[in-house]
Amino acid sequence: MTQTETATVAKAPEVAAISDVNPTQSDNIDHMYLTFALGGEEYGIGINVVTEIVGMQRIMSVPDVPHYVKGVINLRGKVIPLMDARLRFGMQEQTYDERTVVIVMDVSDSLVGLIVDGVREVLEVPPSQVDRHGQFGRGGSRSIISGIGKVGDRVSILLDTDVLVSDSEINIAAEVAQA
Amino acid sequence: MNAAVESSKDTGLVRVSSDKIGRLMDLVGELSLSVSETVNSPDLEGLELASFETAVHRLTMIVREVQDVATELRLVPLDDVFKRLRRMVRELERQTHKKVNLVVEGADTPIDKMVADKLYDPLLHVLRNSADHGLEGPEERVEAGKSERGTITLSATQIGSEVRITVADDGRGLNREKILKRARERGMFGPDEEPEPSVLWRAIFEPGFSTAENVSNLSGRGVGMDVLNTTMNQLRGRITVDSEQGKGTRVSLHIPVSLAFLDCIILRLGVQLFAVPVDSVAEIVRPTNGEVTSISAESYREMLKIRGNHIPVCRLDEFYNGATGEKPDTDLPEILVVFNTDTGEIAIPVDEVLDRQQVVMKPLTGRLMNVRASFGCALLGTGEVALVLDCERIAAGADI
Repeated sequence: MTQTETATVAKAPEVAAISDVNPTQSDNIDHMYLTFALGGEEYGIGINVVTEIVGMQRIMSVPDVPHYVKGVINLRGKVIPLMDARLRFGMQEQTYDERTVVIVMDVSDSLVGLIVDGVREVLEVPPSQVDRHGQFGRGGSRSIISGIGKVGDRVSILLDTDVLVSDSEINIAAEVAQA
Repeated sequence: MNAAVESSKDTGLVRVSSDKIGRLMDLVGELSLSVSETVNSPDLEGLELASFETAVHRLTMIVREVQDVATELRLVPLDDVFKRLRRMVRELERQTHKKVNLVVEGADTPIDKMVADKLYDPLLHVLRNSADHGLEGPEERVEAGKSERGTITLSATQIGSEVRITVADDGRGLNREKILKRARERGMFGPDEEPEPSVLWRAIFEPGFSTAENVSNLSGRGVGMDVLNTTMNQLRGRITVDSEQGKGTRVSLHIPVSLAFLDCIILRLGVQLFAVPVDSVAEIVRPTNGEVTSISAESYREMLKIRGNHIPVCRLDEFYNGATGEKPDTDLPEILVVFNTDTGEIAIPVDEVLDRQQVVMKPLTGRLMNVRASFGCALLGTGEVALVLDCERIAAGADI
Protein backbone atom coordinates (compact mmCIF):
# COMPACT_ATOMS: atom_id res chain seq x y z
CA MET A 1 0.00 0.00 0.00
CA THR A 2 1.36 3.37 -0.94
CA GLN A 3 1.70 6.49 1.12
CA THR A 4 -0.79 8.39 -1.04
CA GLU A 5 -3.57 5.98 -0.25
CA THR A 6 -2.78 6.22 3.43
CA ALA A 7 -2.99 9.97 3.33
CA THR A 8 -6.45 9.79 1.78
CA VAL A 9 -7.72 7.79 4.70
CA ALA A 10 -6.25 10.12 7.27
CA LYS A 11 -7.46 13.29 5.60
CA ALA A 12 -10.98 12.26 4.66
CA PRO A 13 -12.83 14.34 7.22
CA GLU A 14 -16.22 12.69 7.22
CA VAL A 15 -16.57 9.10 6.19
CA ALA A 16 -14.07 6.75 4.66
CA ALA A 17 -15.50 3.29 4.26
CA ILE A 18 -12.93 0.59 4.59
CA SER A 19 -13.95 -0.90 1.29
CA ASP A 20 -12.53 2.23 -0.35
CA VAL A 21 -9.10 1.29 0.86
CA ASN A 22 -8.28 -1.21 -1.79
CA PRO A 23 -6.52 -4.27 -0.43
CA THR A 24 -3.82 -4.94 -2.96
CA GLN A 25 -2.02 -8.19 -2.38
CA SER A 26 -4.46 -10.64 -0.90
CA ASP A 27 -8.16 -11.40 -0.56
CA ASN A 28 -7.74 -12.83 2.88
CA ILE A 29 -8.77 -10.10 5.28
CA ASP A 30 -7.91 -12.26 8.30
CA HIS A 31 -4.32 -11.13 8.04
CA MET A 32 -5.09 -7.51 7.34
CA TYR A 33 -4.73 -4.96 10.06
CA LEU A 34 -5.69 -1.32 10.29
CA THR A 35 -2.79 0.46 11.91
CA PHE A 36 -3.05 3.61 13.94
CA ALA A 37 -0.71 5.86 15.84
CA LEU A 38 -0.78 6.35 19.56
CA GLY A 39 1.99 8.30 21.25
CA GLY A 40 4.72 7.40 18.78
CA GLU A 41 3.84 3.72 18.64
CA GLU A 42 1.97 1.85 15.98
CA TYR A 43 -0.95 -0.41 16.86
CA GLY A 44 -3.04 -2.65 14.66
CA ILE A 45 -6.51 -4.11 14.87
CA GLY A 46 -7.96 -6.80 12.63
CA ILE A 47 -9.63 -5.17 9.65
CA ASN A 48 -12.54 -7.62 9.89
CA VAL A 49 -13.97 -5.84 12.95
CA VAL A 50 -13.62 -2.35 11.48
CA THR A 51 -16.82 -1.02 9.90
CA GLU A 52 -15.74 2.53 9.11
CA ILE A 53 -13.51 5.42 10.05
CA VAL A 54 -15.09 8.75 10.81
CA GLY A 55 -13.75 12.15 11.69
CA MET A 56 -14.11 13.48 15.19
CA GLN A 57 -17.62 14.68 15.88
CA ARG A 58 -19.66 16.03 18.69
CA ILE A 59 -19.48 13.65 21.62
CA MET A 60 -22.39 13.58 24.04
CA SER A 61 -21.42 12.69 27.55
CA VAL A 62 -23.27 9.92 29.39
CA PRO A 63 -23.13 9.00 33.07
CA ASP A 64 -22.16 5.69 34.67
CA VAL A 65 -19.45 4.63 32.24
CA PRO A 66 -15.72 4.08 32.84
CA HIS A 67 -13.58 7.22 32.53
CA TYR A 68 -12.20 6.11 29.16
CA VAL A 69 -15.67 6.04 27.60
CA LYS A 70 -15.94 9.66 26.56
CA GLY A 71 -19.59 9.50 25.59
CA VAL A 72 -21.68 8.62 22.57
CA ILE A 73 -22.10 9.86 19.03
CA ASN A 74 -25.12 9.66 16.79
CA LEU A 75 -23.86 8.12 13.59
CA ARG A 76 -26.72 8.17 11.08
CA GLY A 77 -29.24 7.12 13.69
CA LYS A 78 -26.98 4.65 15.50
CA VAL A 79 -25.87 5.46 19.02
CA ILE A 80 -22.20 4.49 19.33
CA PRO A 81 -20.16 4.69 22.54
CA LEU A 82 -16.63 6.07 22.09
CA MET A 83 -13.54 4.87 23.94
CA ASP A 84 -10.50 7.08 24.10
CA ALA A 85 -7.65 4.70 23.22
CA ARG A 86 -5.12 6.70 25.25
CA LEU A 87 -7.25 6.61 28.38
CA ARG A 88 -8.13 2.97 27.76
CA PHE A 89 -4.44 2.08 27.76
CA GLY A 90 -3.56 4.17 30.79
CA MET A 91 -1.66 6.72 28.69
CA GLN A 92 -1.57 10.49 28.91
CA GLU A 93 -4.70 12.17 27.59
CA GLN A 94 -4.25 14.46 24.60
CA THR A 95 -6.59 17.11 23.19
CA TYR A 96 -8.20 16.10 19.94
CA ASP A 97 -6.94 17.76 16.76
CA GLU A 98 -7.73 17.54 13.06
CA ARG A 99 -5.86 14.23 12.78
CA THR A 100 -7.88 12.58 15.55
CA VAL A 101 -10.26 9.98 14.15
CA VAL A 102 -12.73 7.43 15.35
CA ILE A 103 -12.39 3.83 14.27
CA VAL A 104 -15.84 2.25 14.42
CA MET A 105 -15.64 -1.43 15.23
CA ASP A 106 -18.23 -4.17 15.37
CA VAL A 107 -17.16 -6.47 18.17
CA SER A 108 -19.52 -9.24 19.32
CA ASP A 109 -22.42 -7.65 17.44
CA SER A 110 -22.20 -4.26 19.06
CA LEU A 111 -20.67 -1.11 17.67
CA VAL A 112 -18.02 0.79 19.54
CA GLY A 113 -15.77 3.64 18.45
CA LEU A 114 -12.09 3.96 19.30
CA ILE A 115 -10.61 7.46 19.39
CA VAL A 116 -7.03 7.36 18.13
CA ASP A 117 -4.38 9.96 17.28
CA GLY A 118 -4.68 9.10 13.59
CA VAL A 119 -4.95 6.09 11.30
CA ARG A 120 -1.98 5.01 9.20
CA GLU A 121 -2.83 2.30 6.73
CA VAL A 122 -4.10 -1.19 6.09
CA LEU A 123 -1.24 -3.60 6.56
CA GLU A 124 -1.01 -7.25 5.66
CA VAL A 125 0.81 -9.25 8.28
CA PRO A 126 1.00 -12.98 7.49
CA PRO A 127 0.83 -15.20 10.59
CA SER A 128 4.46 -16.20 10.08
CA GLN A 129 5.47 -12.60 10.76
CA VAL A 130 3.48 -12.30 13.96
CA ASP A 131 5.31 -12.94 17.21
CA ARG A 132 2.74 -14.43 19.61
CA HIS A 133 5.10 -14.45 22.56
CA GLY A 134 3.05 -12.07 24.67
CA GLN A 135 -0.26 -13.79 24.07
CA PHE A 136 -1.01 -14.38 27.71
CA GLY A 137 -0.75 -11.58 30.19
CA ARG A 138 0.33 -11.73 33.76
CA GLY A 139 -1.69 -13.88 36.13
CA GLY A 140 -3.10 -15.94 33.28
CA SER A 141 -5.51 -13.21 32.18
CA ARG A 142 -5.81 -12.66 28.49
CA SER A 143 -3.50 -9.97 27.20
CA ILE A 144 -4.67 -7.00 25.16
CA ILE A 145 -1.80 -7.76 22.81
CA SER A 146 -2.55 -10.61 20.46
CA GLY A 147 0.89 -10.47 18.90
CA ILE A 148 3.68 -8.28 17.57
CA GLY A 149 3.57 -7.92 13.81
CA LYS A 150 6.84 -7.34 11.98
CA VAL A 151 6.78 -6.20 8.37
CA GLY A 152 10.21 -5.19 7.11
CA ASP A 153 11.67 -2.97 9.80
CA ARG A 154 8.25 -1.86 11.01
CA VAL A 155 6.71 -3.14 14.20
CA SER A 156 2.99 -3.05 14.88
CA ILE A 157 1.45 -4.03 18.18
CA LEU A 158 -1.59 -6.09 17.25
CA LEU A 159 -4.53 -5.79 19.62
CA ASP A 160 -7.11 -8.29 20.80
CA THR A 161 -10.37 -6.41 20.23
CA ASP A 162 -12.37 -8.64 22.59
CA VAL A 163 -10.10 -7.58 25.44
CA LEU A 164 -10.15 -4.01 24.18
CA VAL A 165 -13.92 -3.71 24.57
CA SER A 166 -14.05 -5.73 27.81
CA ASP A 167 -14.08 -4.22 31.28
CA SER A 168 -10.63 -5.45 32.26
CA GLU A 169 -7.96 -2.97 33.27
CA ILE A 170 -5.28 -2.38 30.69
CA ASN A 171 -1.83 -0.99 31.23
CA ILE A 172 -0.37 -1.00 27.77
CA ALA A 173 3.13 0.10 28.81
CA ALA A 174 3.53 -2.90 31.11
CA GLU A 175 2.13 -5.26 28.49
CA VAL A 176 4.41 -3.94 25.79
CA ALA A 177 7.40 -4.28 28.09
CA GLN A 178 6.44 -7.88 28.76
CA ALA A 179 5.75 -8.77 25.18
CA MET B 1 -50.21 -13.19 -5.08
CA ASN B 2 -46.63 -13.61 -3.91
CA ALA B 3 -45.36 -15.63 -0.98
CA ALA B 4 -44.74 -12.81 1.44
CA VAL B 5 -48.16 -11.24 1.22
CA GLU B 6 -51.14 -13.53 1.43
CA SER B 7 -54.48 -11.87 1.51
CA SER B 8 -57.78 -13.36 2.30
CA LYS B 9 -60.90 -11.93 0.73
CA ASP B 10 -63.12 -13.21 3.49
CA THR B 11 -61.55 -11.46 6.46
CA GLY B 12 -59.85 -8.50 4.84
CA LEU B 13 -56.63 -9.49 6.57
CA VAL B 14 -53.18 -9.27 5.03
CA ARG B 15 -50.34 -11.34 6.29
CA VAL B 16 -47.06 -9.41 6.33
CA SER B 17 -43.73 -10.65 7.61
CA SER B 18 -42.58 -8.96 10.81
CA ASP B 19 -39.27 -8.12 9.11
CA LYS B 20 -41.11 -5.82 6.75
CA ILE B 21 -42.91 -4.12 9.60
CA GLY B 22 -39.64 -3.80 11.47
CA ARG B 23 -38.10 -2.11 8.43
CA LEU B 24 -41.09 0.24 8.24
CA MET B 25 -40.76 1.10 11.92
CA ASP B 26 -37.06 1.91 11.45
CA LEU B 27 -37.88 4.12 8.49
CA VAL B 28 -40.64 5.92 10.37
CA GLY B 29 -38.16 6.50 13.17
CA GLU B 30 -35.65 7.98 10.74
CA LEU B 31 -38.39 10.01 9.07
CA SER B 32 -39.46 11.61 12.31
CA LEU B 33 -35.83 12.33 13.16
CA SER B 34 -35.08 14.02 9.88
CA VAL B 35 -38.30 16.03 10.05
CA SER B 36 -37.30 17.42 13.43
CA GLU B 37 -33.76 17.96 12.22
CA THR B 38 -35.09 19.99 9.31
CA VAL B 39 -37.54 21.94 11.41
CA ASN B 40 -34.96 22.69 14.09
CA SER B 41 -32.25 23.58 11.59
CA PRO B 42 -30.08 26.44 12.84
CA ASP B 43 -30.33 28.01 9.35
CA LEU B 44 -33.92 28.93 10.10
CA GLU B 45 -33.08 30.84 13.24
CA GLY B 46 -34.40 34.39 13.40
CA LEU B 47 -36.47 34.07 10.24
CA GLU B 48 -40.14 35.09 10.15
CA LEU B 49 -41.79 32.16 8.42
CA ALA B 50 -45.52 32.26 9.07
CA SER B 51 -46.71 29.83 6.40
CA PHE B 52 -43.70 27.59 7.03
CA GLU B 53 -44.75 27.26 10.65
CA THR B 54 -48.24 26.18 9.62
CA ALA B 55 -46.82 23.61 7.22
CA VAL B 56 -44.44 22.34 9.88
CA HIS B 57 -47.27 21.96 12.33
CA ARG B 58 -49.23 19.91 9.82
CA LEU B 59 -46.18 17.84 8.93
CA THR B 60 -45.41 16.97 12.55
CA MET B 61 -49.04 16.00 13.14
CA ILE B 62 -48.90 13.65 10.17
CA VAL B 63 -45.56 12.16 11.21
CA ARG B 64 -46.96 11.50 14.64
CA GLU B 65 -49.99 9.81 13.20
CA VAL B 66 -47.83 7.70 10.91
CA GLN B 67 -45.82 6.69 13.97
CA ASP B 68 -48.94 5.67 15.83
CA VAL B 69 -50.28 3.69 12.89
CA ALA B 70 -46.92 1.98 12.34
CA THR B 71 -46.76 1.09 16.02
CA GLU B 72 -50.28 -0.32 15.87
CA LEU B 73 -49.31 -2.53 12.93
CA ARG B 74 -47.10 -4.52 15.19
CA LEU B 75 -49.59 -4.95 17.99
CA VAL B 76 -50.90 -8.44 18.67
CA PRO B 77 -53.27 -9.62 21.39
CA LEU B 78 -51.56 -11.03 24.47
CA ASP B 79 -53.65 -14.13 23.95
CA ASP B 80 -50.91 -15.46 21.66
CA VAL B 81 -48.68 -15.76 24.72
CA PHE B 82 -51.41 -16.73 27.15
CA LYS B 83 -52.48 -19.68 24.99
CA ARG B 84 -49.05 -21.22 25.20
CA LEU B 85 -48.97 -20.67 28.95
CA ARG B 86 -52.37 -22.34 29.33
CA ARG B 87 -50.93 -25.49 27.81
CA MET B 88 -48.00 -25.36 30.22
CA VAL B 89 -50.30 -25.26 33.26
CA ARG B 90 -51.51 -28.79 32.55
CA GLU B 91 -47.91 -29.88 32.41
CA LEU B 92 -47.24 -28.12 35.72
CA GLU B 93 -50.19 -29.91 37.33
CA ARG B 94 -48.74 -33.26 36.34
CA GLN B 95 -45.29 -32.40 37.66
CA THR B 96 -46.33 -30.83 40.97
CA HIS B 97 -49.28 -33.16 41.71
CA LYS B 98 -51.30 -30.07 42.53
CA LYS B 99 -54.63 -29.10 41.11
CA VAL B 100 -54.47 -25.78 39.36
CA ASN B 101 -57.31 -23.71 38.02
CA LEU B 102 -56.03 -21.09 35.57
CA VAL B 103 -58.20 -18.01 35.14
CA VAL B 104 -57.28 -15.74 32.23
CA GLU B 105 -58.45 -12.14 32.03
CA GLY B 106 -57.80 -9.44 29.47
CA ALA B 107 -56.32 -11.76 26.84
CA ASP B 108 -57.31 -9.32 24.11
CA THR B 109 -54.98 -6.61 25.47
CA PRO B 110 -52.74 -5.50 22.58
CA ILE B 111 -48.97 -5.49 22.83
CA ASP B 112 -45.98 -5.02 20.50
CA LYS B 113 -45.17 -8.31 18.78
CA MET B 114 -41.50 -7.86 19.68
CA VAL B 115 -42.50 -7.60 23.33
CA ALA B 116 -44.93 -10.50 23.15
CA ASP B 117 -42.23 -12.76 21.72
CA LYS B 118 -40.05 -12.08 24.74
CA LEU B 119 -42.75 -12.48 27.36
CA TYR B 120 -43.28 -16.23 27.26
CA ASP B 121 -40.17 -17.31 29.16
CA PRO B 122 -40.40 -14.80 32.02
CA LEU B 123 -44.14 -15.36 32.43
CA LEU B 124 -43.66 -19.10 32.41
CA HIS B 125 -41.13 -18.67 35.16
CA VAL B 126 -43.49 -16.62 37.33
CA LEU B 127 -46.25 -19.15 36.70
CA ARG B 128 -43.96 -22.01 37.66
CA ASN B 129 -43.03 -20.31 40.89
CA SER B 130 -46.69 -19.79 41.71
CA ALA B 131 -47.56 -23.41 41.05
CA ASP B 132 -44.50 -24.85 42.73
CA HIS B 133 -43.94 -22.56 45.73
CA GLY B 134 -47.09 -20.48 45.96
CA LEU B 135 -49.84 -23.07 45.84
CA GLU B 136 -50.08 -25.66 48.59
CA GLY B 137 -50.76 -29.34 48.03
CA PRO B 138 -54.42 -30.43 48.04
CA GLU B 139 -54.34 -31.72 51.67
CA GLU B 140 -52.68 -28.59 53.02
CA ARG B 141 -55.23 -26.45 51.23
CA VAL B 142 -58.19 -28.34 52.67
CA GLU B 143 -56.63 -28.06 56.12
CA ALA B 144 -56.31 -24.30 55.68
CA GLY B 145 -59.98 -24.16 54.78
CA LYS B 146 -59.39 -23.47 51.10
CA SER B 147 -60.76 -25.34 48.13
CA GLU B 148 -58.70 -28.33 47.07
CA ARG B 149 -58.00 -26.78 43.71
CA GLY B 150 -55.64 -23.80 43.70
CA THR B 151 -56.34 -20.83 41.47
CA ILE B 152 -53.81 -18.86 39.45
CA THR B 153 -55.15 -15.74 37.78
CA LEU B 154 -53.31 -14.50 34.73
CA SER B 155 -54.60 -11.07 33.81
CA ALA B 156 -53.61 -8.17 31.59
CA THR B 157 -54.80 -4.59 31.39
CA GLN B 158 -53.57 -1.54 29.58
CA ILE B 159 -53.07 1.57 31.70
CA GLY B 160 -51.95 4.53 29.64
CA SER B 161 -48.92 3.52 27.60
CA GLU B 162 -48.22 0.61 29.90
CA VAL B 163 -49.48 -2.96 29.93
CA ARG B 164 -49.77 -4.60 33.31
CA ILE B 165 -49.64 -8.39 33.39
CA THR B 166 -50.42 -9.98 36.73
CA VAL B 167 -49.93 -13.53 37.92
CA ALA B 168 -51.84 -13.99 41.18
CA ASP B 169 -52.24 -17.21 43.17
CA ASP B 170 -54.34 -17.99 46.22
CA GLY B 171 -51.58 -20.01 47.85
CA ARG B 172 -49.64 -19.64 51.07
CA GLY B 173 -48.05 -16.29 50.32
CA LEU B 174 -44.42 -15.33 50.70
CA ASN B 175 -42.72 -16.28 53.92
CA ARG B 176 -41.34 -13.09 55.38
CA GLU B 177 -39.08 -14.77 57.96
CA LYS B 178 -37.54 -17.18 55.48
CA ILE B 179 -36.92 -14.51 52.86
CA LEU B 180 -35.56 -12.01 55.37
CA LYS B 181 -33.21 -14.66 56.80
CA ARG B 182 -31.94 -15.56 53.36
CA ALA B 183 -31.61 -11.89 52.37
CA ARG B 184 -29.62 -11.19 55.51
CA GLU B 185 -27.37 -14.17 54.83
CA ARG B 186 -26.63 -12.65 51.48
CA GLY B 187 -25.89 -9.31 53.12
CA MET B 188 -28.76 -7.46 51.49
CA PHE B 189 -30.06 -6.21 54.83
CA GLY B 190 -28.42 -5.67 58.19
CA PRO B 191 -29.22 -8.11 61.04
CA ASP B 192 -31.55 -5.61 62.72
CA GLU B 193 -32.99 -4.06 59.61
CA GLU B 194 -36.72 -4.60 59.15
CA PRO B 195 -37.39 -3.66 55.53
CA GLU B 196 -40.81 -2.69 54.22
CA PRO B 197 -42.59 -5.63 52.53
CA SER B 198 -42.36 -4.04 49.08
CA VAL B 199 -38.60 -3.60 49.54
CA LEU B 200 -38.10 -7.08 50.94
CA TRP B 201 -40.06 -8.84 48.21
CA ARG B 202 -37.77 -7.31 45.63
CA ALA B 203 -35.02 -9.52 47.08
CA ILE B 204 -36.59 -12.61 45.52
CA PHE B 205 -35.69 -11.26 42.10
CA GLU B 206 -31.99 -11.15 42.92
CA PRO B 207 -30.00 -13.63 40.85
CA GLY B 208 -29.31 -16.85 42.73
CA PHE B 209 -31.83 -16.03 45.44
CA SER B 210 -33.93 -19.04 46.35
CA THR B 211 -35.39 -20.09 49.66
CA ALA B 212 -36.65 -23.38 48.31
CA GLU B 213 -35.36 -26.23 50.43
CA ASN B 214 -35.97 -28.75 47.71
CA VAL B 215 -34.64 -27.89 44.35
CA SER B 216 -37.09 -29.44 41.96
CA ASN B 217 -36.68 -29.66 38.25
CA LEU B 218 -39.32 -26.96 38.08
CA SER B 219 -37.91 -24.21 40.19
CA GLY B 220 -35.87 -23.36 43.23
CA ARG B 221 -32.58 -23.07 41.46
CA GLY B 222 -32.69 -19.30 41.42
CA VAL B 223 -31.75 -19.22 37.77
CA GLY B 224 -35.11 -18.31 36.27
CA MET B 225 -35.09 -14.96 38.01
CA ASP B 226 -32.09 -13.98 35.94
CA VAL B 227 -34.11 -14.56 32.79
CA LEU B 228 -36.93 -12.52 34.25
CA ASN B 229 -34.64 -9.62 35.22
CA THR B 230 -32.78 -9.56 31.93
CA THR B 231 -35.97 -9.60 29.91
CA MET B 232 -37.60 -6.91 32.00
CA ASN B 233 -34.58 -4.67 31.54
CA GLN B 234 -34.66 -5.21 27.80
CA LEU B 235 -38.35 -4.40 27.71
CA ARG B 236 -38.02 -1.31 29.93
CA GLY B 237 -40.39 -3.01 32.30
CA ARG B 238 -40.48 -3.47 36.02
CA ILE B 239 -41.79 -6.01 38.46
CA THR B 240 -43.82 -5.50 41.60
CA VAL B 241 -44.74 -8.13 44.17
CA ASP B 242 -47.49 -8.09 46.70
CA SER B 243 -48.14 -10.90 49.12
CA GLU B 244 -50.20 -11.76 52.14
CA GLN B 245 -49.41 -14.68 54.40
CA GLY B 246 -51.90 -17.48 53.85
CA LYS B 247 -53.80 -15.57 51.18
CA GLY B 248 -51.53 -15.63 48.16
CA THR B 249 -48.97 -13.78 46.08
CA ARG B 250 -49.40 -11.37 43.20
CA VAL B 251 -46.57 -10.65 40.79
CA SER B 252 -47.11 -7.82 38.30
CA LEU B 253 -45.05 -7.06 35.24
CA HIS B 254 -45.37 -3.47 34.02
CA ILE B 255 -44.35 -3.20 30.40
CA PRO B 256 -44.57 -0.38 27.85
CA VAL B 257 -46.94 -1.13 24.95
CA SER B 258 -44.37 -0.17 22.34
CA LEU B 259 -40.61 -0.14 22.42
CA ALA B 260 -39.93 2.12 19.48
CA PHE B 261 -41.15 5.56 20.53
CA LEU B 262 -41.54 7.29 23.85
CA ASP B 263 -43.13 10.59 24.80
CA CYS B 264 -40.43 12.33 26.82
CA ILE B 265 -39.42 15.50 28.57
CA ILE B 266 -35.82 16.44 27.83
CA LEU B 267 -33.67 17.66 30.72
CA ARG B 268 -30.15 19.02 30.89
CA LEU B 269 -27.76 18.62 33.79
CA GLY B 270 -24.31 20.03 33.13
CA VAL B 271 -23.30 18.78 29.69
CA GLN B 272 -25.47 15.70 29.89
CA LEU B 273 -28.94 15.30 28.43
CA PHE B 274 -31.58 13.11 29.98
CA ALA B 275 -35.04 12.12 28.82
CA VAL B 276 -37.82 11.08 31.15
CA PRO B 277 -41.15 9.53 30.15
CA VAL B 278 -43.86 12.18 30.39
CA ASP B 279 -46.14 9.90 32.45
CA SER B 280 -43.58 9.66 35.23
CA VAL B 281 -43.27 13.41 35.84
CA ALA B 282 -45.52 14.71 38.62
CA GLU B 283 -44.45 18.35 38.54
CA ILE B 284 -41.58 20.68 37.83
CA VAL B 285 -40.73 23.23 40.52
CA ARG B 286 -38.28 26.06 40.98
CA PRO B 287 -37.80 26.02 44.75
CA THR B 288 -37.31 29.30 46.59
CA ASN B 289 -35.15 29.78 49.64
CA GLY B 290 -35.90 27.39 52.47
CA GLU B 291 -37.90 24.94 50.40
CA VAL B 292 -34.96 22.59 50.17
CA THR B 293 -33.51 21.55 53.48
CA SER B 294 -30.50 19.42 54.12
CA ILE B 295 -30.63 16.95 57.00
CA SER B 296 -27.12 16.80 58.41
CA ALA B 297 -27.94 13.84 60.66
CA GLU B 298 -28.71 11.80 57.55
CA SER B 299 -25.50 12.41 55.60
CA TYR B 300 -26.79 15.81 54.48
CA ARG B 301 -29.69 14.25 52.71
CA GLU B 302 -31.62 16.96 50.92
CA MET B 303 -35.38 17.20 51.08
CA LEU B 304 -37.77 19.29 49.04
CA LYS B 305 -40.58 20.68 51.14
CA ILE B 306 -43.66 21.15 49.07
CA ARG B 307 -47.22 21.68 50.35
CA GLY B 308 -46.24 20.15 53.68
CA ASN B 309 -44.69 17.03 52.12
CA HIS B 310 -41.01 16.20 52.23
CA ILE B 311 -39.69 14.68 49.06
CA PRO B 312 -36.16 13.25 48.98
CA VAL B 313 -33.87 14.96 46.50
CA CYS B 314 -31.71 12.66 44.41
CA ARG B 315 -28.76 14.27 42.68
CA LEU B 316 -27.91 12.27 39.57
CA ASP B 317 -24.17 12.77 39.97
CA GLU B 318 -24.38 11.29 43.45
CA PHE B 319 -26.57 8.47 42.24
CA TYR B 320 -24.06 7.50 39.58
CA ASN B 321 -20.81 8.32 41.32
CA GLY B 322 -21.79 7.43 44.86
CA ALA B 323 -22.74 9.85 47.61
CA THR B 324 -19.87 11.22 49.64
CA GLY B 325 -21.92 11.43 52.82
CA GLU B 326 -20.70 14.98 53.18
CA LYS B 327 -22.37 18.24 52.47
CA PRO B 328 -22.41 18.60 48.67
CA ASP B 329 -19.97 21.33 47.68
CA THR B 330 -22.00 22.45 44.71
CA ASP B 331 -25.23 24.39 44.90
CA LEU B 332 -28.40 22.63 44.03
CA PRO B 333 -29.41 23.30 40.42
CA GLU B 334 -32.32 25.69 40.07
CA ILE B 335 -34.99 23.32 38.86
CA LEU B 336 -36.36 20.23 40.53
CA VAL B 337 -38.35 17.65 38.62
CA VAL B 338 -40.65 15.61 40.85
CA PHE B 339 -41.38 12.03 39.83
CA ASN B 340 -44.11 9.66 40.92
CA THR B 341 -42.71 6.22 41.61
CA ASP B 342 -43.85 3.06 43.36
CA THR B 343 -41.47 3.82 46.21
CA GLY B 344 -42.81 7.35 46.65
CA GLU B 345 -41.99 10.68 45.09
CA ILE B 346 -38.44 11.79 44.38
CA ALA B 347 -37.08 15.10 43.16
CA ILE B 348 -34.22 15.22 40.68
CA PRO B 349 -32.35 18.52 40.25
CA VAL B 350 -31.58 19.67 36.71
CA ASP B 351 -30.15 22.82 35.15
CA GLU B 352 -32.72 23.17 32.42
CA VAL B 353 -35.95 21.69 31.11
CA LEU B 354 -35.56 21.77 27.35
CA ASP B 355 -38.48 20.34 25.52
CA ARG B 356 -41.18 17.75 25.30
CA GLN B 357 -40.90 15.43 22.31
CA GLN B 358 -41.56 11.99 20.96
CA VAL B 359 -38.15 10.36 20.92
CA VAL B 360 -36.87 7.35 19.02
CA MET B 361 -35.64 4.76 21.46
CA LYS B 362 -32.39 2.87 21.03
CA PRO B 363 -31.49 0.04 23.40
CA LEU B 364 -28.29 0.17 25.43
CA THR B 365 -25.86 -2.27 23.89
CA GLY B 366 -22.25 -3.24 24.28
CA ARG B 367 -20.30 -0.82 26.43
CA LEU B 368 -23.45 1.00 27.53
CA MET B 369 -25.21 -2.11 28.80
CA ASN B 370 -24.13 -1.50 32.39
CA VAL B 371 -25.45 2.04 32.66
CA ARG B 372 -27.79 1.93 35.64
CA ALA B 373 -31.37 3.15 35.89
CA SER B 374 -31.83 3.67 32.19
CA PHE B 375 -34.23 2.33 29.58
CA GLY B 376 -31.94 3.19 26.70
CA CYS B 377 -30.84 6.09 24.60
CA ALA B 378 -33.17 8.60 23.00
CA LEU B 379 -32.40 10.20 19.67
CA LEU B 380 -33.62 13.77 19.76
CA GLY B 381 -34.82 15.89 16.88
CA THR B 382 -31.62 17.91 17.11
CA GLY B 383 -29.55 14.79 16.45
CA GLU B 384 -28.40 14.78 20.04
CA VAL B 385 -28.55 11.72 22.25
CA ALA B 386 -30.13 11.67 25.70
CA LEU B 387 -30.16 8.93 28.28
CA VAL B 388 -33.70 7.83 29.14
CA LEU B 389 -33.97 7.60 32.92
CA ASP B 390 -35.95 4.96 34.75
CA CYS B 391 -37.05 6.91 37.79
CA GLU B 392 -38.41 3.77 39.46
CA ARG B 393 -34.93 2.37 39.68
CA ILE B 394 -33.45 5.68 40.78
CA ALA B 395 -36.02 5.92 43.55
CA ALA B 396 -35.40 2.34 44.58
CA GLY B 397 -31.66 2.96 44.64
CA ALA B 398 -32.03 6.22 46.52
CA ASP B 399 -33.86 4.39 49.29
CA ILE B 400 -30.90 2.32 50.37
